[in-house]
Amino acid sequence: MDDRIELLQGTLDMLILRTLRPGAQHGHGIGVAIRASSQDVLQVEHGSLYPALHRLRKEGLIEGEWKLSENKQRARYYRLTAKGRKKLAAEESRWNRMVEAIARVLKPA
Amino acid sequence: MRLWHWLTRRSQEDQELDEEVRFHLAEETRLRISRGEAPDSAARSAQRDFGNVTRTKEIAREAWAWSALDRLRQDLRFSIRMLAKSPAFTALALTALALGIGATTSVYSIVNSVLLRPLPFPKPGRLVMVWETQPLTGQPNVVQTGNFLEWRKRNRSFESMAAIQAFPVNLEGSGEAVQVPGLGVTAGFFETLGVPPLLGRTIGPEEDRSAAPGTVVLSYGFWQRQFGGRADAIGRHVTIFGQIREVIGVMPPGFHLPAEPRIDVYFPMQISPDQARRDGRNDSVVARLRPSVSLGDADGEMRGIAAQTAQERPDINTGWSATVVPLLEQTVGKTRITLLVVWSVAGMVLLIACANVANLLLMRAAKRRREMNVRAALGAGRWRLLHQLLTESMLLAVAGGLLGFVLACWGVPAILRLLPTDFPLPRRDEIAVDRTALWFTTLVSLACGVFASLFPAVQVDRGHLNDGLRYGGRHGTASGSRLRSGLVVAEVALAMLLVIGSGLMVRSFILLCQVNPGFQPSHLVSFRMLLMASGRDFPQILRVRASLVQQMLEQIRSLPGVRAASSIHLMPLSGQQSGTSYSRADRPAPPPAQGGGDVSVISDGYFRTMGIPLLSGREFDQRDRPGSPPVAVINQTLARVAFPGENPIGKRMRVAWGFSPDPVEIVGVAADIHHNGLETAPDPCLFLPNAQQPSGFLTLVVRTNGDPNMIPAIQQRIHKVNPAQGIAEVRSMESVVAADTAKPALETSVLSIFGFLALGLACVGIYAVVSYSVEQRVREMGIRLALGATPHSILGRILRERLFLALIGIGAGLVAALALTRYLATLLYTVRPTDPPVYAAVTSILVAAALAGCFFPARRATRVDPAMVLREE
Repeated sequence: MDDRIELLQGTLDMLILRTLRPGAQHGHGIGVAIRASSQDVLQVEHGSLYPALHRLRKEGLIEGEWKLSENKQRARYYRLTAKGRKKLAAEESRWNRMVEAIARVLKPA
Repeated sequence: MRLWHWLTRRSQEDQELDEEVRFHLAEETRLRISRGEAPDSAARSAQRDFGNVTRTKEIAREAWAWSALDRLRQDLRFSIRMLAKSPAFTALALTALALGIGATTSVYSIVNSVLLRPLPFPKPGRLVMVWETQPLTGQPNVVQTGNFLEWRKRNRSFESMAAIQAFPVNLEGSGEAVQVPGLGVTAGFFETLGVPPLLGRTIGPEEDRSAAPGTVVLSYGFWQRQFGGRADAIGRHVTIFGQIREVIGVMPPGFHLPAEPRIDVYFPMQISPDQARRDGRNDSVVARLRPSVSLGDADGEMRGIAAQTAQERPDINTGWSATVVPLLEQTVGKTRITLLVVWSVAGMVLLIACANVANLLLMRAAKRRREMNVRAALGAGRWRLLHQLLTESMLLAVAGGLLGFVLACWGVPAILRLLPTDFPLPRRDEIAVDRTALWFTTLVSLACGVFASLFPAVQVDRGHLNDGLRYGGRHGTASGSRLRSGLVVAEVALAMLLVIGSGLMVRSFILLCQVNPGFQPSHLVSFRMLLMASGRDFPQILRVRASLVQQMLEQIRSLPGVRAASSIHLMPLSGQQSGTSYSRADRPAPPPAQGGGDVSVISDGYFRTMGIPLLSGREFDQRDRPGSPPVAVINQTLARVAFPGENPIGKRMRVAWGFSPDPVEIVGVAADIHHNGLETAPDPCLFLPNAQQPSGFLTLVVRTNGDPNMIPAIQQRIHKVNPAQGIAEVRSMESVVAADTAKPALETSVLSIFGFLALGLACVGIYAVVSYSVEQRVREMGIRLALGATPHSILGRILRERLFLALIGIGAGLVAALALTRYLATLLYTVRPTDPPVYAAVTSILVAAALAGCFFPARRATRVDPAMVLREE
């Protein structure tokens, strides 16, 4: 429990976009996926997903479509748009450069 | 359509978000159950993991641009619900705002139409009036005809310049002769104003030559009435003063000189050189400045020209100069100060109304403190709360503004209808509650909304959240009560100021109404006309005038029911009077243009007819004929000024009037009357007999037995003497006296209404604040009572505390009144702006009102049941 890290401001968007790269997913699935792929280190309050999803949708980075879930319930599935893919690529490289830079600062060679 | 689409999409998004969240919670619960959690604990955990559902939805919604509008809609709905929940509060606030905004908008419409809007002529800022100025006093004066001709010839400052002179013109033709308002103008009058005719042509130099055939230009209204608006009126003929004149033009509707709104016909003055020399000062002069010339330059040039004419004709021009006045300033004149006073008073009433609404909102905010604090604690942003307050106050202000505007739309025409037709309000026909007024109302309403929400907002902003939660909102904070007290003090101070203002007006008006005009107006009827007299030459015209008047009077006196009849050339209180220089014949003549005063030309029996006491000597009678020794009666003031300590009877005076150089002998002294208005002290006046100095201007005065049917009978007798003689105006002297007090009456009633409005609003303010504080302190009072305080002492305690506030307000109001009421000075008759009785009376009224405002709510505090209060604890 104590090892959990609260998400850095602004990184949630990137994580959502990254989660959607393999294919469409609904909000709950995205939350579960982020938790799982970070081995439960990243703490995402599920409530905060939806404002982010709506914002991304409005920016045209993702689009939503109502489908039936595996349990035959109506759910909105989100999918990356072309613009979203481009944005994700840019964010990832920006992020990597930042991580490297911070690492260099923390561990000077 | 687009908005609709947008709104429906908005609600669809909302539903979808709901569904998404529901799905999420269901899915999470299922996931947790599948991991082995108990179903009910799984649902709870899912809920907990999700966080604040409502907040999430709110934030998600804000991701979409509509949320601002959405929020406004929500706030509006909430505000309407809150306002509907407390109808008494809403009604009070709306009434206060509607009255305040209505009053301010009404007065603004009038101020805008009269003072601010340019006159309805092209480049109206270049239009001026040019006057001569009197020796010694420098007062503007009508212009001597010859001087006008010199001005027109010599000036370089004006594009054009025209002389005008208004008098009733006799119109003969089908049916009974009538006299209609006419304006003699010189060529260039219409060009100066810059208004082309609707039909035909206007009066040019050709028509204005002294030997030119008679022509006339009609007003639109006269053309409609007399010619049914037919275009073939041009070239038709009308008979004016026995002369057949050709109609050459019709002016467009609404055209008139602001000072002469009722003119029906315009005709050329056709000044002959002989007349120009002989004429007295009778003309007004209107002119248009050249584009590059300033008012000051023109004024300087005119003074220079007047200095020249004074040297050239010292007999009439010594000491006289000239002045140039902008036409708008001339038109508006003294009305400016009245309107500005009334406007600022209306503004103060509005301020009080706003302070009241602010106070009411403040108290409600305090009552809703708990609600606000709970909402704040639950995460409603501070802005959101301020937003809500502002919405509520704006809603009130806009609704109040709307009501106020309706009030003004209905009230302004109603007020104008109530005014007598000759009420001295310039540009009256231009007054309208128009789009500018609507803009004004909108701005004022918005300002009120902001102003009224300002104080409560400051309080919320200070946000002692914890206090509020802890005490459950039963305690106002100290800062809140200070604010409310401050507002009450301000309200009381403003009310004090306004009530003192209206008190001064009322006292002044009472004094004015007690002024004895000097004559008995009841059962006295006047008939004004320009006398129709023709003859070969001027002396013969004079003889005809005298004999016509004598015949008319004899005819009228022979009517049963007529007690007495006589005539005067310019009626008392008509706003017109002649003046000239005169001096004692037994002393050396003073320099020209010094000494003198009013002159009235009257027929025999005038003083008896009017009910003016004769103090000594006799009035004119059959002995005073043309050719008999010239005589005069003087008034008391002239007797005192010219013959102090002497008996004036039998003394002689030189009079510059008419055509005889012989001094007149004084045969009588009459009591003073207020010829120039009840507010004006009587001037020296010299009366000359019409038989010896026949005047063309004539007002017959007839004292009857009060039978209203007398008037047609008298008119019949007048027409019997001369069928072509029209009558310009028939008025009872009572209405003349009433008209003289119409303006102060209106000023007084308007200021009184505003004063009482202010007093009422301030009382409501005091009442509300005391009620509220009593309500807030029920616990304290209950405990005090339980500990043995008597109801009496509690009542005294509250009264002392609150009355103290009112007294501060009253004190501040007194100081403000001492500083500001001097602006009322020009509207007051004999009362000084610091009149102690008024100040004392108003102070006691306000103290009484404040006491009443405190007493009733305070008494409630004494009826608190201590047991109940303690149980609540």
